[in-house]
Amino acid sequence: MSSKLSLYKEFTKGIWEQNTTFKQILGMCPVLAVTVSAINGLAMALATTFVLVFSSIIVAIVKKLIPDQVRIAAYILIIATFVTIVDMVMKASYPDLSKSLGPYIPLIVVNCVILGRQEAFASKNTVFRSFLDAVGMGAGVLLSLILLGAVRELFGSGTIFGIQLLPDFYEPMLVMILPAGAFITLGLMMGLFNQIALSNKEKQRKKTIEKYLSTKNSINDPVGV
Amino acid sequence: MRTIIRMLAVLTIIGVISGGLLSQISIWSKPKIAAHRELETKNAIFQVLPEGKSFTKMETANLEVYSVFDDSGKLIGYAVPFEGNGFQGKIRMMAGLTSDLDKVTGLQVLEQVETPGLGTKIVEDPSKKEDPYWFPNQFKEVETQPMIGVVKNQKPVNKYDIQAITGATISSKAVVQIMNQGIQVLRKMDAEGKLNNAGGEK
Amino acid sequence: MELLVIFFGAAVVNNFVLSYFLGICPFIGVSNKISSAFSMGLAATFVMVLTAIVSWLIYNLILVPYDLDFLQYVAFILVIASLVQFVEMFIKKMSRPLYRALGIFLPLITTNCAILGLALFIVLRDYSFVESVVFGVGAGAGFTLAITIMAGIREELDLADVPKAFQGAPITLIVAGILALAFMGFAGMIS
Repeated sequence: MSSKLSLYKEFTKGIWEQNTTFKQILGMCPVLAVTVSAINGLAMALATTFVLVFSSIIVAIVKKLIPDQVRIAAYILIIATFVTIVDMVMKASYPDLSKSLGPYIPLIVVNCVILGRQEAFASKNTVFRSFLDAVGMGAGVLLSLILLGAVRELFGSGTIFGIQLLPDFYEPMLVMILPAGAFITLGLMMGLFNQIALSNKEKQRKKTIEKYLSTKNSINDPVGV
Repeated sequence: MRTIIRMLAVLTIIGVISGGLLSQISIWSKPKIAAHRELETKNAIFQVLPEGKSFTKMETANLEVYSVFDDSGKLIGYAVPFEGNGFQGKIRMMAGLTSDLDKVTGLQVLEQVETPGLGTKIVEDPSKKEDPYWFPNQFKEVETQPMIGVVKNQKPVNKYDIQAITGATISSKAVVQIMNQGIQVLRKMDAEGKLNNAGGEK
Repeated sequence: MELLVIFFGAAVVNNFVLSYFLGICPFIGVSNKISSAFSMGLAATFVMVLTAIVSWLIYNLILVPYDLDFLQYVAFILVIASLVQFVEMFIKKMSRPLYRALGIFLPLITTNCAILGLALFIVLRDYSFVESVVFGVGAGAGFTLAITIMAGIREELDLADVPKAFQGAPITLIVAGILALAFMGFAGMIS
């Protein structure tokens, strides 16, 4: 389907147009669970991207060898292997980070974004394209996790990446750090982005109508957009 | 039939490769993880017993106990890693106790998964180091006889009471309960003469 | 008593969906109608209990004795995937109506993080066998409860005048947030 896209587009589509969090609404558990602070969001996104990129490459390489009936099982096996690698490396090299992300690193295994990309993309495309796609999707995950983490950290603790940004008299809104705050913040942000997209569309529609009217100079024709 | 064999073969091959890879990485990471844990334990021991200069480890059936000594080699207390379930999961901590087990000298929570923003306040915070009512700081000098207790919404009156964190009573109580249970085990060991109090004054 | 605490802890106090964010995908995806939400809940509960049993056995009888705990994620996910497959075949043979009710939800359960989360928590908290089973039942009940309540609210929401930009996932998330706040009230039950 998308093999006609330019290579550049293959990479950028994941960042916004097909952003997994805000547009496709996939892989929500890590998005909500680890974003109490921007740094956690960053670490989680990097771990997810690592797994996504390497699984995509491997799947794209071996796609012809895997029988159709067991493809999901094979993908999951590959993904679980990379997740275990990330988990062990993190525990060995960044113990503090691995502690604060807690049991959410292993849950990357069942992150539907990763399995979804294998099934929808890497199993049908070349290695290089799958790599670009994975990096782009990863960048999208990174963007949304940092955004959400930064907003929650800012209002919940008055800091971003641990740097105090709001003045001392600001009373942190505890609810932003609580689970409830995660749901509400994400809901509001998603609504906001939808609103922006809607009003952009509206503007474009108006422009098209104007153009149409000025060229045809007729209002009897139904305007179908 | 051929497809079934092929299916099994492919999955087995992937499984074997993945297992081999993981075991190699596990061999690399295990000593590192163990080293981190050891360093963490060491730091925690000197944190909860600041006067300590050296320690020896004692492993018993149900508890690790670190006997901590000052520069003259005199036993000043025990550092004990306690473990138990909190509100959302396991809490692991290092508690410092005087050699007669009657007073807590300090507490450091090593691992917890409590509710962010509420239960996570059981962990110490460098910016609150001077605040005597900050949860982990309260454990300094608290008495363990008859038992550490928890009070809510008021400053503790008794010398054996701890004020619970607002909004995280359960996590606070869990920490205290884990401590109490652990101390009981220690007392029993002490009564049976199993605690290493060489040089310790009783 | 201890078992009761584990059950209610998993079902309401630390509800998998509302405080651990496990199983959000079906929670948002399959919560349009009460009937399908409830079926999804039941299917997930069924798999969860089985997962609790099998993963406890595998972890404690195979992985720990042979020092293979680095394989736990791979092993658990394979167990879950094959369990789901097995349950699907079993239900198909045993009861047509049940299969029609649950069938389409079963494949979705493989990637339901609540199931893997359950297996990981069992390891993390050193639960005994009985505790694990009770934990599985509780977590499943909690998931069913949350998704059914959500579906009930969303059926009413259809009649409400939600701004266009907030229709669908955004309003569902906000409602979930309010539900999560309400569920925090259950915290008092444990102490």
